[in-house]
Amino acid sequence: MMHGWRGDLLAVGRGAAPFALILIAWALVTRANVLPAMFLPPPADVARTGWDMLKDGSLWTNIGASVGRVLVSLVISVPLAVGLGIFVGLRRRLSPVFEPIAGFFNSLSGIAWLPLAVTWFGLGWVSVIFIMFNTIFFLVFYNTLVGVRSVPRIFEHAVRTLGGSRRHIIFQVLIPGAMPNIVTGIRMSIGFGWRALIAAEMIATSTGLGFLIYNASNFHQTDTILVGIVTIGILWLLTDRLVLQPIERWTVERWGLVSSSR
Amino acid sequence: MTAKITIRGLGHEYVNPFTRERVVALDGVDLEVAEGEFLTVVGPSGCGKTTLLNVLAGLLPKTRGTVLLDGREVRGPGPDRGVVFQEFAIMPWRTVEKNIAHGLEIQSVPKEERSAIVRRFVELVGLRGFERKYPHELSGGMKQRVAVARTLAANPEVMLMDEPFASVDSQTRITLQEELNAIAQATRKTILFVTHNVEEAVFLGDRCCVLSGRPGRVKALVPVGIPRARRRWNLLMSDGTFDAAKEKVFGLVREEVGKEV
Amino acid sequence: MERHWEIVSTWVLILAATIAAWSLGAATLPVPDYFLPPPSAVLSAFVELIAKGMLPIFVAESLRRIVLAALLGLFVGVPIGLLLGVSRVTADFAYPVLNFFQSVSGIAWLPLMLIWFGFGERTILVAVNYTVLFPVIFNALLGIRSVPQIYVNALRTLGASRWRIVRDVLLPGALPNIAMGVRLGLAYGWRALIAAEMLVGANGLGFMIFNAQTFHLTARIMLGMGIIGALWVVLDYFLLRPLEEATIARWGMVQR
Repeated sequence: MMHGWRGDLLAVGRGAAPFALILIAWALVTRANVLPAMFLPPPADVARTGWDMLKDGSLWTNIGASVGRVLVSLVISVPLAVGLGIFVGLRRRLSPVFEPIAGFFNSLSGIAWLPLAVTWFGLGWVSVIFIMFNTIFFLVFYNTLVGVRSVPRIFEHAVRTLGGSRRHIIFQVLIPGAMPNIVTGIRMSIGFGWRALIAAEMIATSTGLGFLIYNASNFHQTDTILVGIVTIGILWLLTDRLVLQPIERWTVERWGLVSSSR
Repeated sequence: MTAKITIRGLGHEYVNPFTRERVVALDGVDLEVAEGEFLTVVGPSGCGKTTLLNVLAGLLPKTRGTVLLDGREVRGPGPDRGVVFQEFAIMPWRTVEKNIAHGLEIQSVPKEERSAIVRRFVELVGLRGFERKYPHELSGGMKQRVAVARTLAANPEVMLMDEPFASVDSQTRITLQEELNAIAQATRKTILFVTHNVEEAVFLGDRCCVLSGRPGRVKALVPVGIPRARRRWNLLMSDGTFDAAKEKVFGLVREEVGKEV
Repeated sequence: MERHWEIVSTWVLILAATIAAWSLGAATLPVPDYFLPPPSAVLSAFVELIAKGMLPIFVAESLRRIVLAALLGLFVGVPIGLLLGVSRVTADFAYPVLNFFQSVSGIAWLPLMLIWFGFGERTILVAVNYTVLFPVIFNALLGIRSVPQIYVNALRTLGASRWRIVRDVLLPGALPNIAMGVRLGLAYGWRALIAAEMLVGANGLGFMIFNAQTFHLTARIMLGMGIIGALWVVLDYFLLRPLEEATIARWGMVQR
């Protein structure tokens, strides 16, 4: 049995090994001079570019812009979506009406909002936030709605026989009961939202990681593009490890529940 | 003896949402449960046992008749009537102690008092050491102990139990029945206990109420004259009184089942 | 039955109210015409684009690209994922790499692909197929690895061969994840397609709404959005969901 830091180290090593192999293959290909450096610069060049961008702050600025947009959109959309999802989910007549409507807007989520956003708000932050809002809001709303409706009635009965009021039912039964679905909704919305953000930044802004890599491609700066792609990948892994997984561990997994929405 | 629960001419009807037919689940139920009495209700499946309990709990509306608790009309669910459900219905997102404290929390009992009460009932149902566990980490029998403790901790006037031991294994069921008997003896609560298991009904009940097949009404009330202290499975294995009561109730239920076939 | 009618009539009511409010807003709000064209303009854009033959071509082009990606995902992505998943060694090795590549969307690779494959159709296809392929491979692998060992043991005690275990246990056991991967991959892929058509395309629905923005043809944007949403609903409702229901829902394996 492997315990503690030795086990952790082994796990990290096992996860890193495939990437090391890719890195070696990449270095060998560029060493062999079969491709021009503009197509695929050697890993050392990319690392140097990345280091320079970290030092002069340009990478941080773009990371800040992208992450800031994600955070602002989450803060605006998630509470609104959860609140409205519970409000509608509580109403047995309303929810079957709104479920497919939210489903439709889900299928429209993301980049398809861009032309309309630019028409209404011009190029810049507001357009990007508008696109992100439409992506995140409907996903979380839909999942909350489905979640509230899937909470077994028996829990509601139990709280009522203990003398619980409507407020007790909402906060002690429906919200925790819908939590697996809400968490799934947030996870999906960050996945879809992050992708929509990269695409939107390419077109509608002059900051952020999406802009960084798209702009670099105009100048054939392949090394900058690769720095951007790796940064996007790392940011997603960090979001998953530091935000999504802890939320899931502290709610759904601890309670032994599974999500009923997909 | 004064009546704790008085049921007169109780009827319940509903419309089946699929066939759109009117179904009469209960029709003219008359029943009195005395203060401190343990009354068990048996009957063939679909006779409206659970419906009766849900009407008493206030979870279902009655169509006709009156239901009185201490002489007052029952309206909607309330903490004066605690319910133990067959599906346990303890919250998966609360630990054992938080589940047991749930009713007290809703009644805004101060924190120190609450934890003292919780500790007492954790002890009573034998869950010491499991206070911080979540329901999915417990066995079926332990989950039902949590549910019983939750209901008792809220200190209801009467306790309504809906086939609480139906979904646990038979070994655990025997243990839980003996424990519930001890709890009834110790707390002197008025209990109405619904089951389809005749042995269980006779083992637990001061009186055993047999319901007729649909529409459900009271067919017979069979008193079981065995003192609480004697109600242990090893003592009742060859007990004449127990066997006689069991035979009688069996016969009454069988008549009803026979009618349906 | 009555409930059904209630829902449909509520929809009609909501739709009518939305159209009425939208028309009223378009007529009275002090904004330029291109800001909020009335519903009737969207309808006439629809008629016009069909008459000119543009809309059918754009729809067909977008559908061709996503169907191609779907087929590649199903017939190449799924087998690759299964093959990698069958052996513990390859699964452990491939898992983190696949996880990385599935979390970076094809659109992020687009700038690089522009350099590699040029400004055109080839780049769109690579970006979309990439976006579909990785979640499919990843989830197929995950599916194989998450089949409970007891099923494998049960078949072993019945004397089953390795191939039989794959066919009778691992494949059906992995189906829920495979279905999830295909659905997720196509959902991501459909959006990547729209984005790629906006950035690189000369046709397709993404190109249509992006190009319309340049010329302030807002009615065309709205029409395009409606079609993009509707096509996905149709694809999801009539293709992906039945696929799922025909297999795994019947076995009670969908986590709902």
